[in-house]
Amino acid sequence: MNWQIRYALASFEEKGNSAAEHLGGDVIRVTTPHRPDVLAVITAADMVDHATAVRYLEETQGLDFLCGYRAHCAWDGMAILYLEENHVGWGNFGTLTSAALSGNANSAQHKVYKFSDRLLRQHDRIMKVEREFDRIHHITLRNGKAFRIGMIADYEPTADEVRSLWERFGPVDIVWNINPNGTPQPEATEAGVQLGCKVMKWNELRDHLNRA
Amino acid sequence: MERVEGSFEQSVMTASEIAAHLLGKCATLKYFDAYMFGSTLHGVGQDIDILIVGTDGTLLARLKKEILHAGEKLPLHVLYMLPSEEDHTQFVLKQKCIPLSELASLAV
Repeated sequence: MNWQIRYALASFEEKGNSAAEHLGGDVIRVTTPHRPDVLAVITAADMVDHATAVRYLEETQGLDFLCGYRAHCAWDGMAILYLEENHVGWGNFGTLTSAALSGNANSAQHKVYKFSDRLLRQHDRIMKVEREFDRIHHITLRNGKAFRIGMIADYEPTADEVRSLWERFGPVDIVWNINPNGTPQPEATEAGVQLGCKVMKWNELRDHLNRA
Repeated sequence: MERVEGSFEQSVMTASEIAAHLLGKCATLKYFDAYMFGSTLHGVGQDIDILIVGTDGTLLARLKKEILHAGEKLPLHVLYMLPSEEDHTQFVLKQKCIPLSELASLAV
């Protein structure tokens, strides 16, 4: 049994709301009273790209949910599209546990970024949203202006998190602290200035888009 | 289905074992203040939350590589803070962070 399966089973056991059993490889079955069973893959991948998603779907008949167990696991936009088109839920372990309890594993998406993704798609000045990664969106406004936005979900984003986002996913115009209760550290804002991007919360981002 | 004897909680590393593992594998940690916080301190957490406080630069880059290697089979969630950031936020105090060295001393 690999390490991420051990942790996933131990976490389910600790929480106690759902039961989980290992079916082999990276696959587990999650059972929750009065909810459909969930067939889930628990991957240790750092990045779930399209090829990874295709491989898991081909290998796992009846797959309901693909879970990236590592805290820093990221999801490529093509993988997200592919999974959603094939009615397979995706996201971190927290998303899996919530989805198993809600009975919506096949349509669940990474709960850390779900609300922010929706906010961008519902903004009336935004014409087009391309999701490059789970946390990186390229948006085009109705006036033709475009921005690449990176999301940081932490409560108090640090300079290192801003730099790490930039190094891992490439340059962005805006770093958006999507935690509604979050407060970017002054050092994070300064790191953004040095890199050439602005670090902001939703109200500032909304005003920025309205003025652009 | 593969069967494991006993509780799954017994099949993952304890907080003390994780601390000892990290201190043993990451030589550069001695230049930083390193802590654990969150649910792993009280049992099994889905992530193992680690706080590293220190300055940016070559040593930090080296430490990140060491931690990546040491955490290959652990669900580490590592937060890197500058000393000034920790000072503003009082993160160690508010999150009741425990130094890795203190935890490691409890490992059998």
